[in-house]
Amino acid sequence: MPRSGRSGLIPTRGHPAPPPDQGEPGTEQAASPPDQGEPDAEPPAPPDRGEPAFDGHRPPPAEVVADCVHCGFCLPSCPTYLLWGEEMDSPRGRIHLIKQGLEGEPLSETMVGHFDRCLGCMACVTACPSGVRYDTLIERTRQQVERRHVRSPRERALRAAIFALFPYPRRLRLLRGPLWAYQASGLRNLVDRTGLLRRLAPTLATLESLAPRLTRAPRPPRRVPAYGPRRAAVGMLTGCVQSAFFPGVNSATARVLAAEGCEVVINPERQGCCGALSLHNGREEEARRFARDLIDAFAAERLDYFVVNAAGCGSALKEYGDLLADDPAYAERAAAFAARVRDLSELLVELGPVATRHPLPVSVAYHDACHLGHAQGIRSQPRELLRAIPELELREIADPELCCGSAGVWNVLNPEPAARLGERKARDVLATGASLLVTANPGCLMQIAAALPRAADASGPRSTSPRGDRGMALAHTAQVLDASIRRLPVTRLLD
Amino acid sequence: MTGDDDGRSTTTGPDGDRSAERAATIGRLAAELRTRLDADQVIDDRARLRTYECDGLAAYRVVPALVVLPHTAQECALVVRSCVAAGVPFVARGSGTGLSGGALPHPDGVLVVTSRLREIREVAPADERAVVEPGVINLAVSRAAHPHGYYYAPDPSSQQICSIGGNVAENSGGAHCLKYGFTTNHVLGLQVVTPDGELVRLGGAAPDSPGYDLVGAFVGSEGTLGIATEVTVRLVRLPESVRTLLAAFPTTDAAGAATSAIIAAGVVPAAVEMMDALAIEAAEAAVRCGYPAGAGAVLIVELDGPAVEVEAQFAEVVTLCRTHRAFEVRIAADEAQRALFWKGRKSAFAAVGRLSPDYIVQDGVIPRTALPEVLRRIGELAAERGIRVANVFHAGDGNLHPLVLFDETIDGQTDRAEELSGAILDLCVAYGGSITGEHGVGMDKATYLPRMFTDDDLDTMQLLRCAFDPRSLANPGKIFPTPRLCGEVPGRRKGPHPLQEAGLAEVF
Amino acid sequence: MSDVPGSVDLLATIEDAGLVRPAGPVDVVGGVPARFVAEPATTEQVATVLAAAARHGLTVVARGSGSKLDWGHPPTALDLIVDTRRLAGVVEHAAGDLIVVVRAGTPLAELRQLLAPAGQQLALDDPLPGATVGGVVSTNTSGPRRMGYGTVRDLLIGVTLVRADGVVAHAGGKVVKNVAGYDLGKLVTGAYGTLGLVTECAFRLHPVPAAQAYVRCRVPLAGAGGADLVGRLVATVRAAQLVPDALEVDAPVDGPIELVVLIGGTTAGVAGRAEAARRLLAGAAGPGPTGADLEVLVDAGSPPPWWSRYPWLPGDTGLKLTGVLSAVPDLLGAARTVADRHDVPIRVRGSAGTGVLYAGLPANAEPDRVAGVVEELRGAAGTAGGHAVVLTAPDRVRDRVDLWGPVEGLELMRRVKDRFDPEARLAPGRFVGGI
Repeated sequence: MPRSGRSGLIPTRGHPAPPPDQGEPGTEQAASPPDQGEPDAEPPAPPDRGEPAFDGHRPPPAEVVADCVHCGFCLPSCPTYLLWGEEMDSPRGRIHLIKQGLEGEPLSETMVGHFDRCLGCMACVTACPSGVRYDTLIERTRQQVERRHVRSPRERALRAAIFALFPYPRRLRLLRGPLWAYQASGLRNLVDRTGLLRRLAPTLATLESLAPRLTRAPRPPRRVPAYGPRRAAVGMLTGCVQSAFFPGVNSATARVLAAEGCEVVINPERQGCCGALSLHNGREEEARRFARDLIDAFAAERLDYFVVNAAGCGSALKEYGDLLADDPAYAERAAAFAARVRDLSELLVELGPVATRHPLPVSVAYHDACHLGHAQGIRSQPRELLRAIPELELREIADPELCCGSAGVWNVLNPEPAARLGERKARDVLATGASLLVTANPGCLMQIAAALPRAADASGPRSTSPRGDRGMALAHTAQVLDASIRRLPVTRLLD
Repeated sequence: MTGDDDGRSTTTGPDGDRSAERAATIGRLAAELRTRLDADQVIDDRARLRTYECDGLAAYRVVPALVVLPHTAQECALVVRSCVAAGVPFVARGSGTGLSGGALPHPDGVLVVTSRLREIREVAPADERAVVEPGVINLAVSRAAHPHGYYYAPDPSSQQICSIGGNVAENSGGAHCLKYGFTTNHVLGLQVVTPDGELVRLGGAAPDSPGYDLVGAFVGSEGTLGIATEVTVRLVRLPESVRTLLAAFPTTDAAGAATSAIIAAGVVPAAVEMMDALAIEAAEAAVRCGYPAGAGAVLIVELDGPAVEVEAQFAEVVTLCRTHRAFEVRIAADEAQRALFWKGRKSAFAAVGRLSPDYIVQDGVIPRTALPEVLRRIGELAAERGIRVANVFHAGDGNLHPLVLFDETIDGQTDRAEELSGAILDLCVAYGGSITGEHGVGMDKATYLPRMFTDDDLDTMQLLRCAFDPRSLANPGKIFPTPRLCGEVPGRRKGPHPLQEAGLAEVF
Repeated sequence: MSDVPGSVDLLATIEDAGLVRPAGPVDVVGGVPARFVAEPATTEQVATVLAAAARHGLTVVARGSGSKLDWGHPPTALDLIVDTRRLAGVVEHAAGDLIVVVRAGTPLAELRQLLAPAGQQLALDDPLPGATVGGVVSTNTSGPRRMGYGTVRDLLIGVTLVRADGVVAHAGGKVVKNVAGYDLGKLVTGAYGTLGLVTECAFRLHPVPAAQAYVRCRVPLAGAGGADLVGRLVATVRAAQLVPDALEVDAPVDGPIELVVLIGGTTAGVAGRAEAARRLLAGAAGPGPTGADLEVLVDAGSPPPWWSRYPWLPGDTGLKLTGVLSAVPDLLGAARTVADRHDVPIRVRGSAGTGVLYAGLPANAEPDRVAGVVEELRGAAGTAGGHAVVLTAPDRVRDRVDLWGPVEGLELMRRVKDRFDPEARLAPGRFVGGI
């Protein structure tokens, strides 16, 4: 009978595990489709034969795995399935791999490879009719991988470099502007050796092409008073990439909040990374450390809300309660903190507008950042805010559920497939014919900006965009609202 | 019926020598294919192989010996030819959403996955045709045709992910097949790899190709006659008007009577779908579709066509629902509301997972007029066994999808659920229906096929299989309960056929 | 094989004497006289007859009303005609389920009358009056309404057949939705009786529409200009939301082409759609050479006299021309051009809405010229993505032309035939590739 539901009902038939001479684990990486960078100088770490993939500390929950009925509805929403058409690079296949791990299969090089290739976009969570919490599964799995799997020295170095760089806004800032600043920094040794800079080069070039809005902004003030009667006191996250590369977005966020009657508490000197990148890449301890620090940074403030304008950070902050649940000193505070976290658009819709919106005659394509749409379920709020701006025309992008390929640092770790996903998204964005792309995540902004010129080239001379090689103007939702509220000319967004 | 051995498992009987020999054969086959294909197209890593061990019916699992992902029809033919040369069986798989185990791998065989053959070759609205590769997703065909005012009519519930190649193999239907027919009514031409490894074109873009209707024979043959590598499908004009209503009834009897009345009135709705109270509960839990509270059954009735026709008939349908005790009739005001009506229905299978840890999705057909009676009998059978059954079905054409809910951790429930599920099929056959309306026979119902057909019927069907696949290499073990050999085989074969050797097959 | 000495005695002694008789002067298929005729009334009797024929190695051709016995090639040998006219009548009509099970020898016209009181129909036209269900299935004939309802393959949901060895087999069933087992119904549809003898068919039925209207449009242009205009009109109708049951074209040897749209549905709906069709067609000529609107009539009562009739008379050459929809005007134009070039009058008629046309050439046409016409039309149909098949022709034409033309998958078809009828005793040589 067609049966679904709890797995493991019928014992697996077929061959028992192949004898050692057939397994050929050493050749697995070569058989994988995506370019994982240069071939490793050393052979991959031997598979931990015999030892089950997961230990007892926060393993992926078997009952969540059992929720998967193998219907496959998640497949079309998965970027890696679209790229490679392979079961093991789909959510259903990854859940199956996790299940194998829970059943005692070792954490092989192969398995880790397929877990690593997940972008963590969570489109599958949205698509799943059975409500499988794939987000929980992959997050727990990644923590196990980071703790238990020994990566190749090259991989280790690259990841170390990434996590020595991205969660630190000051270090990130050194990558901008003249190269001497970077060369003079202590980062050089670390970053050069791993080839990270080469991987970052296209992104950095994109950033420079966005230069007009990247001029060095002054450090944000500690507090911004509410304009008019105070409706709420809100903390605000400045973020790492956001504050380093898009300080204008933070200024706009603070101004919009103030205009809507919020007293904004920023405490820029006290806040660091929120831990999102670490959390989404399985670096559990690091994430917990960042989370505790951020909670401490605002411990003295009496805040109604804590506002985030970067989608990835927002989804991580909302998980603080779970992340620190087993930390007696922080569990309660973390849960209370997480409960106050709001995405900017979420809070603005919750509060309702008081500031007058002035016309912005512009056509806007709105891109759902995965960590806003899929992870936080926030899709209608930004659209509602944009539609409320007189003369602004909102256009939908085809396949809105598909990830643009940015996915935190995934595009740094997987540059080639990320570029393909970026181009696909950029083509869909260009097809809207809109003159401004709006999204709520710095990663998406950079990824699509980098892909737009390539997509414009690929689609031929007829579809030359008004922005020439840059393809299209880009902005964060906060900047569009800010421009409308401050009655700025639309050219300020388009130039 | 799931745990029994089908005679192919390597865990029973064969000695280690044969097992090692088969492994060596696969090893040589993999090595040969690697010389002709990219490395990532040939999968023999065990963890990866295991992700292919089941399709949409996860109760059956067999790890394939090898997985190959061809990029072209020629590569697909190459793989099959290599299998023929090595005497290795092969099984085709698309998106792996089938619900009868039709794409269940063979433990000693190659799984040929068509998910990378996903180009839409041509959309020709002026000819009302599209030409697609087998891995193209069903919904993608409609999306490509929409800008021209056309769509691809067959719409199985899994249309967002199921592939056209899989649809061809299973002759997939969908909610709208009451009016528009099944895959077989919408496929005009095929390019197939025969079980010999030859690329052959059957049918074409124009109707009524001369000779036997091998397209008709191939569609629905569940991968036992070869692998489709290109499919020419009919496109249908998007209707001028679509009107959808959701009617809530106190009982399934009342909803069934309303359905019969609608059909008797000469209306051919695009779809008539029914859900009972338990199915509604599941759908609400999953997608919050907001169906009327307290309904013992809901009907979704959809009419489409020229606006004037739809207007005239829709009013009649609304009246008929009311006269048959519908206590609430909602009419979709816009596309969003229509989508919400359908969302509940289309998510129902997977949604039942929220009500019960385990469940069986059954698929049977009865004459539409027997609906109230059969539903009552199903209810009685379920009550006798202390098992809950949620009913979701295509009421217009009598296609039942009882969802048998159970919990395997409760002693004996699994057996009772399976027994009930089989009893429901017996009921369908007893009322002159079918053991499967759209999910196919596959692995799951092969043993049930003799309840519908005589040995002579099955023998006759196997004549067709033997014509295409005299070596029994194409998806062996599916559809037919008894493996049979085809007598003389064109070409050479070394040694006795393994099945013959095992004494399991009678020579046909 | 058929010259087994004493076959008559064997048949007479072993089988029920009432089933088999010696053939008479009219018991001829394509000019080949039969030796015996069997007239079974049940599937079991057909099985008995065919089992006996198998034992004696007799070649067999099934015959219904005989309306298409001159189609295809003559059998290469003929011992026994199995006449199905006693194998008639409705087995089951489940009106509530919109299905009918009917024996193969039942004439379509009779079935129509039987179903009418229930307001139901088997939506198959019979271009040759008197045709039986079995004959229609075996030759896969269709008429104008194939556009709205499909053909045999779309309506046949179950089949009972008797194999060459006398074994009775069923496939499909009595429910419309059913994917259990192979769809042998499709395999025997249009197989010219070469795979088995169909004894019973289950069909899905449709309600008879409450109203219908024929919208008739006369295209004043002749030649290529006329064909092009027909193409525009056909495209206009298809692009509109008329949902016609039929879209037929009739291009006589000379004189204006006529295009007819059949619309069926509710009384109110048909009136509105017919008027919409009239307006569309009248205005669709556009600023062509005539300048004026086309003459369009709406006739709610009866079809034009040529409706659902092949454009040929008994003894003529009749072709089936198929192509993709956009190539329908090309096929019409090609027929006109070829007719002029070979100086043979050709009448073309058929379903412009599905790309299935028929062409008739008079019996007295010079065989060489007919052969030239067939060759060129076959080329045109091939370009159009379809085929040109000679359904029927006088003997002297048959000698000159390849009736079937190119057939895709012929090798597989031979293998199918070899499995179902390894001794090639059923309608031998009648079908494609000498099957």
